[in-house]
Amino acid sequence: MSEKIVISPTSRQEGHAELVMEVDDEGIVTKGRYFSITPVRGLEKIVTGKSPETAPVITQRICGVCPIPHTLASVEAMDDSLDIEIPKAARQLRELLLAAHDVNSHAIHQFLIAQDIVPADLMVTAINSVSEIRKNAQYVVDMVGGEGIHPSDVRIGGMAKNISEVARKRLYARLKALQPKLDAHVELIIGLVADKGFPEGLGVHNQKPLATDVLYGDRTKFELDRFTEILPESWYDDPEIGKRACSTIPLYDGRSVEVGPRARMEVFQGFKDKGVVAQHVARALEMKTALSKAIDILAELDTSAPVMADYDIRGTNKLGVGAIEGPRGMDIHMAQVKDAKTQFYSCLVPTTWNIPTMGPATEGFHHDFGPHVIRAYDPCLSCATHVIVVDDEDRSIIKNEMVRI
Amino acid sequence: MVLGTYKQITLARSTDKQIQKISQDGGIATGLLCFALDEKIIDGAVVAGPSDEMWKPEPTVALSSDEIMAAAGTKYTLSPNMWMVKEAVRQYGLEKAGIVTIPCQTMGLRKMQSYPIGVRFVADKIALDIGICCTENFPFESLKTFISAKAGVNFDLVEKMDIGKGKFWVKTQDDMISFPIKETHGYEQSGCKVCLDLVSELSDISTGSIGAPDDWSAVQVRTDIGETVFNKAVDAGAIELKPIDEGKFGLEMLTRLSKSKKEKAMKEIDRRKELGLPVPYKASSEKEDPLANV
Repeated sequence: MSEKIVISPTSRQEGHAELVMEVDDEGIVTKGRYFSITPVRGLEKIVTGKSPETAPVITQRICGVCPIPHTLASVEAMDDSLDIEIPKAARQLRELLLAAHDVNSHAIHQFLIAQDIVPADLMVTAINSVSEIRKNAQYVVDMVGGEGIHPSDVRIGGMAKNISEVARKRLYARLKALQPKLDAHVELIIGLVADKGFPEGLGVHNQKPLATDVLYGDRTKFELDRFTEILPESWYDDPEIGKRACSTIPLYDGRSVEVGPRARMEVFQGFKDKGVVAQHVARALEMKTALSKAIDILAELDTSAPVMADYDIRGTNKLGVGAIEGPRGMDIHMAQVKDAKTQFYSCLVPTTWNIPTMGPATEGFHHDFGPHVIRAYDPCLSCATHVIVVDDEDRSIIKNEMVRI
Repeated sequence: MVLGTYKQITLARSTDKQIQKISQDGGIATGLLCFALDEKIIDGAVVAGPSDEMWKPEPTVALSSDEIMAAAGTKYTLSPNMWMVKEAVRQYGLEKAGIVTIPCQTMGLRKMQSYPIGVRFVADKIALDIGICCTENFPFESLKTFISAKAGVNFDLVEKMDIGKGKFWVKTQDDMISFPIKETHGYEQSGCKVCLDLVSELSDISTGSIGAPDDWSAVQVRTDIGETVFNKAVDAGAIELKPIDEGKFGLEMLTRLSKSKKEKAMKEIDRRKELGLPVPYKASSEKEDPLANV
C-alpha cells in the first residue's frame, strides 16, 4: 500500500518548492520528487535587446541571497562575449568578493538549519557565531562590491573602482581576526551535525558531481556540448508534477548531476563522503577555504593597479559563457552581444542542477527525513525557475523552443 | 530661533600659521578636521578638494592633513560632497568619516542618517559634520561668467574670492576688485531661492565669516559630538577663541542676515506653493514658526 506525502512548500529555504514522496507501509520513501513551484521571473527576456551593461544589473536581482554569483556570472559572460581580458587586480577583487560572499552565504544556511541541528542550550551561541561571521564577511562585500546586497561596482570589463590602501589593510586585519572565530564556528557546526545522529547513508545518491573550480569558477571546464535541457514533463514520471513544475531539467552527459560545495570538494579536493552529513561538513569546510583565499588576495592586492579594461561594446555575436561557483553550486550565464545589444541571454543556475537530484536523494529512508535531505542542498528556488505557465486553467507550460525565458 | 539650536557661539581661528595662510577666514573647517584626524576622532574626511580645473572643486576623500589642507579655502561653486560619502565609506573604508557641508548638504546628510535607504551601513559612519555658512551657491559656469563680466578679470588670474561687506571680492596678483553682491543675483542656482538655512543649523559645528572680523570665523557649536571635538581642539591649543561681538557687526548681523535669507526664501516658497510647484518645505501657513527650517 503506497501513500503519498506532500510537503508544500518546503520550508527554510529560498523560494517555493514542493516535495512529493511516495512511501510504503513503514513510511519509507520509495519515490521522491522535488520540484520548483516559484512563479517565473522572465529576467532573461527583460535583458534581451538592451545594452550589455543592463544584464548584470538586472540579473543580480534574480535573488537577494546570492546576488554576487549572478552578478559575476553575468559580467563574465559579457566579458567572454566581448572578448575582454580583465586586469589582474579586477580578477582578484572579483575573487575576493565571491570568497567573502561564500562565507556569508554558508553562514546564512547554517542559520536556516539551526533548528534542525542545534540543541536549545547552544542555540544562542550558534546564532551569535553565525551573526559575527556574517557581519565581517558582509563588510568585505560592502567595500569591494560597493553594495552589500546587489553589488554596484562589478562591471563588464573589470570593476568600477579599486579599493584604497586603507581599506585593504583594514579588511586584511578584520579577516585575520575572523579566522580563529571561523575555525571555532566550523568545528561547532561539524560537531553539531555529528551529534544530531542522522542515519548513515541518508541523502546518498549516485549522481556525478559537477564543478568547474575550487572556489571561483572556470568557463573552460564547462563543456556546452555535453549539456542538454529537457522539460519537466518528460523528466517526472508523474504527469501532474510535470505540468506544475516551474523549472527545466538540465542534464550533463544526459544525466542529472549534483552541484555545490560537496561537489566542488569531491572534484577538486578528493572529498569522498556523500549524503546529508557530508553536505553540511563540506559546506562548513569550504568557509575556511574561502576565508583563507580572501586573506591571501588581500595580502597581494595592488590597490594602485588599474581594474578596468578597454573594450569595444559592439560585440560580434560570440556566445559568451560565465561560469561561477556560487555557494549553492555552479552558476552559468550565457550571453551574446551584437550591435551593442544583448541578442541572447540564458542562466543555468545552481539549484536547477540540483532539483532532479534532490528528490531521489530522499529515497530509502523515513519520510520524516525528507526535509532534512532537501535542506542539506541549500536550495534556492527563485533563480531556478525557468519555464512559463501559459494557461492558468490547466497550468500547461509554454512550448519547447520558448523554454529559455 | 533663526540661528538654529546651539550650545555655544564664539569667534575662533586656527592657531596653525600654515592653515591661517591658506584658509578663507579663521580656518576652522580645515583646523578642526586636521585636529580630529590627528586625534583619531575621524579617520578621513570628505572635502571639496582641488580638481584639474582652477576654482572648480571636486568632492575628495582626504586621508591626511596635507590632503585636507589642499582643500582649504572657499570655492564659490558647487561641490557635491554627499556624492562622495558612499565611496568614502566603501572603497576608502572609512569608519569614522568627517565631512564639510553647506546647509543643503547638511540637511541631506541628516536625512540620510534618519532614513538610511540605499545607504545602509554608510550614513552611520559619519562621525563629524562641519557645516559652513552659505547665502547662495553658483554653478561653475555662472561663476565664470559673472567674474569675467562684472569684475572684468580673466578667470584664470583669480587668486582668491570672498564675500563680505555686501560685496563680492576678487583678488588677483596685483588687484583687488569688488562689485556689489546684489549683482550676482540671478546667477545662483534656483534651489538657493527656497533655502531656509544660512548657518547649517543641523551640523555638529557650523562656521562662517558673517559676524566675524577679518581672519576670524563665527562658530556655533551645536551637538554633543561637536562640543567634545571643539573643546578638545581648544584645550590642545589648535584653536583660539575670542568672544563674539554682540553688536551691529557681530551677532546682530548674523541674526539679521539669517532672518532675511529665511524671509526671502519663505516668500518664494509660498509663491511656488501657490503655483502648485513642488517645494520640499512647508508653506508659511502650514507651520507654527514661519521661519523654521522645515
